[in-house]
Formats: sequence, C-alpha cells, structure tokens
Amino acid sequence: MKILAVCGFGVGSSMILKMTLQKVFKEKNIEADIENTDISTHLDYVADAIFTSYQFVDDLKKLTDVPIYPIRRYSDKEEVKKQVEKLLESQQ
Amino acid sequence: MNHMLALDHIQIVESLKNYKEAIKLASTPLLKSGYINDSYIEAMIKAIDTFGPYIVLQDEFAMPHALPEDGVNKTGTSLLVVKEGVDLLGHTIKVFLVLAPKTKDALSTMLTSLADFLMYKQNIINLYNAKSVESIQNLLEESW
Repeated sequence: MKILAVCGFGVGSSMILKMTLQKVFKEKNIEADIENTDISTHLDYVADAIFTSYQFVDDLKKLTDVPIYPIRRYSDKEEVKKQVEKLLESQQ
Repeated sequence: MNHMLALDHIQIVESLKNYKEAIKLASTPLLKSGYINDSYIEAMIKAIDTFGPYIVLQDEFAMPHALPEDGVNKTGTSLLVVKEGVDLLGHTIKVFLVLAPKTKDALSTMLTSLADFLMYKQNIINLYNAKSVESIQNLLEESW
C-alpha cells in the first residue's frame, strides 16, 4: 500500500505524520510505503491514500481523486489509527 | 554531554497574550545567539497564517518551524512553556518547541528522534508540569 503524508513545507510536520503512520501500520502488521511531501510543489499523487490536515483537504481534492484522510494532530497515534482503520475498511 | 536543547534555550512563563507573542518569545534565545535571523521568526508565524494550525502535533503542543532558507544560520532548538496556555487558532498550547534547521537533513534527524516522544500525551503533560528548565531538558533528552 502506498501512502502520502502531506503538509505545508513537506519536511517538518509531514515527517512527524509519516512516522506516526509507520508506527500504526507496523502495529497492524501491514506493509506500507509511506512518503512525505508538501502541498505546493508539483506532485504525482499516485497513492492509495493521502493523510494531511483539515485545511489542505479542499486544495488537494482539486488536484487528485486519491482518497484523503484528514488528521488534526499529527503525533496523536490514536487519531491516526482511527483514520487508518477507515482506510482499511474502505478497501475490504 | 552534547545537549540538543541548551538550558538557556528553555523558558517557563505563566501567561502570554497570544501565540505570535509566544513564538517570538520562544525564539528569542535562538535570535540572541545568532542561530536565526528575524526573518525566520516572521516565516514561522506566516506559515501558520498560510497553512493553519498544523504545527499543533499533539494536545497542548506546537512545533513552530519554517525552512532553512528563511533565515537559519546554525541548527538549533528552543522551548517555551506557557503554564496557563495560549490559544493557537482554537487549540490551547502550553509547550512551544521551535525548530531551526540549517539543512533539511538536520530537520529530519531532529524529527526522527522526536516523533516517538510526541506520540505519548503524558510526555507533553510532564513538560509543562516541570518545575525547572533543568527537568525539562532531562525529560526531552531521555528520549531525544
């Protein structure tokens, strides 16, 4: 499964989100290729899902049809886990 | 011991008016010792205006940062605890950890070691309940 973590700069917060995602996927024993990037540069949004903050959802929806899962607090493992579970349910 | 977070880069205050004041105060040690220029502080505040409160990574915790080219001379970090908390676009923040990376790689290194620490809410609570800057430094370095 390929996952993108997207934030404003693509280096700080999205890196934290990537690591929270890695932890959640690892706990679920699911292989995931997770990359982090920023919202402003040109992106090839080829992924199974995008995780980002609520304020980027509308902009991203204009750029891609990839399902978007918003996260309020990037380090909050429980919140990230709930969104990952939504993604997994949608794939069943 | 080479501390990630120098003691004189840690501050504890009771209250502040708003998050802009908090980010400015939190950054003052880095500015005074030449790690960053004024432009970096402006860039961190502007990032919130542009991108919203996404630097709020955990309950009561924010990590203001911008890019190396916004005015970083030397990689550094600073931390401010606001005991009463301060509003950041709807989130009450008690801990501000400013990251000033000279390169993107330096930022990755900082974040890799910080990520696990931030996943546990109790770590943040311990930070703002700390009685001294020394104990804040210890709390962070146990895992950083």
